[in-house]
Amino acid sequence: MTVMNLSINNNIVGPIEVDPEIMMIEFLHEYLNLTGTKFGCGGGICHACVILVEDEQGMLKTERTCIHNALVFNGKKVHTIEGHATKDKYGEIIALHPVQESFSKHFSFQCGWCTSGFMNETIALIQRLKKDPIKKTDVETTIEAALGEHICRCTGYVKYYQSAKDLILSIKGLTK
Amino acid sequence: MNKILSHTISLAFVSVSFTLSASQELIEKGKYLADAADCYACHTTDDGQQYGGGKAFPLPMGMKIYSTNISSDKTFGIGNYTLEDFTAALREGKSANNGYLYPAMPYGSYALITDDDIKALFAYFQTVPAVKQKKTDNDVYFPANVRTGILGWNMLFLDDKRYLPDSEKSENWNRGNYLVNSFGHCGECHTPRNLFMALEKDKPFQGAVIGSTWAPNITAENLLKAGWGSDDLASLLRHGYSDKGVVTGEMYTVVKHSLSKLSEQDMRAVTGYLLNSDEYIASKTPVYDEKVITHEGYPTYMSYCASCHGDKGQGKPNFAPKMLGNGTLMEPNQYNVVYSIIGGIDSQYYNQVNSFDAMPSYQDKLSDQQLLDLMNYLSASFTFDKKEFTAPEIKALRESVLESLETEH
Repeated sequence: MTVMNLSINNNIVGPIEVDPEIMMIEFLHEYLNLTGTKFGCGGGICHACVILVEDEQGMLKTERTCIHNALVFNGKKVHTIEGHATKDKYGEIIALHPVQESFSKHFSFQCGWCTSGFMNETIALIQRLKKDPIKKTDVETTIEAALGEHICRCTGYVKYYQSAKDLILSIKGLTK
Repeated sequence: MNKILSHTISLAFVSVSFTLSASQELIEKGKYLADAADCYACHTTDDGQQYGGGKAFPLPMGMKIYSTNISSDKTFGIGNYTLEDFTAALREGKSANNGYLYPAMPYGSYALITDDDIKALFAYFQTVPAVKQKKTDNDVYFPANVRTGILGWNMLFLDDKRYLPDSEKSENWNRGNYLVNSFGHCGECHTPRNLFMALEKDKPFQGAVIGSTWAPNITAENLLKAGWGSDDLASLLRHGYSDKGVVTGEMYTVVKHSLSKLSEQDMRAVTGYLLNSDEYIASKTPVYDEKVITHEGYPTYMSYCASCHGDKGQGKPNFAPKMLGNGTLMEPNQYNVVYSIIGGIDSQYYNQVNSFDAMPSYQDKLSDQQLLDLMNYLSASFTFDKKEFTAPEIKALRESVLESLETEH
């Protein structure tokens, strides 16, 4: 067994003994009951399973959890789909994250399996644009580049992309 | 009288049918041999029509040459060729349309092809659909644009001789030798070249840089040392996948368009020749030792590799190759191992029941120290000779891979 310490959704997890052979997604599901991250292809292709990893500057980057062992995330600060909404002191959701709001408003998802992956990628994209705004004319290509590796078997890409586009254009400072 | 006429007509019909059938047989044989020679790979672009040419071949100093149209079109292709023209192109690199061919066309290997097989190839190429596509002009400058210079190269390095069977070897071995060295032109990639880009014939199959990959050492000595057996080698060449590893880079297209189409008998000949044996050879796999979990590279392997390649290197069938006993890990030159880790591997599609997803790049995940530890772990856990690499060795390989990736993009 290996001992891990990490931060998940701003909560310290650990020290916790972990089987060194398990993938991060298994750790989230089986050890912590965080089942919102979905197991898709299992081969790092579909990106349904990505979570957010925060670097020292607070910047977010997605990372696949089906092909990376839990050990990869030891000592890291990560965020999963369960951590994006604002909650009260009793753990009840009082406000959705703007990306969650936007996805709901646009009926972006059908079966929902790929949604947490698209969500995390879009959150990372919005944060990046806050730091480095883009031209309005580049919004569509920027979204395509950012979300392009995510696969939706219900083929709901248009609604995801439209949702991300509307959100980016509605938040001040993301475009110039 | 009517009876005689009827018999005469019947006989004439039989005779015509027989001629047609013989000709069809020759064309079929030619098609098989054209596949064995992998003409498609160089003479067809990714989105182009079969044998229409136009595929680019990068040369040093930013120059490029383009393959020719070898379809049956009489204006742009080789539809106007005689058998003599065709033979001269294949064996001597002399094109009736374009003068001396650049040695990117492996006429040095095709020179070994027998007269009968050339006739079959010619018969087939006269029947392939015509493609009306003009040859793309080569992007070369002095002195590479002086085609007569190639004549000098031919005089120095071209050995225009047909294959001579070795009477001390079996028929199977000789067939394998013929296929590998003529149609297969395996040496064009796997044999190192000298300063003049001619094959170093005293170092056959000892491995060479080709594009951004290392065409490995495929001498029988090296293959046997790495534990390759008859079944694994046949599986690799037919499916691009085996218990001893997979093909990557340009070898993927060689398997897809050429080797996968070899008959069972010819595949046995090829593997028999490459392993230099008429007997069936069983592959060998090292024994996995649980003690390796104390190795410095174990956490890195478990973190990034184990989910696909297995915690004990057992791999996942038709998804990720085994690491235990992997031939690439036992190749003397470790460039391809570092390339796979740092550059990743593109997805491969052979057919609906045989295709592989891409392997991601780990360039931004592994420090030099982690890569070194990983390379040493792979060797310690999954190979026979358990080599120890040094930091400068692996750093140099990484830099070489990065340089190559930059050139590719």
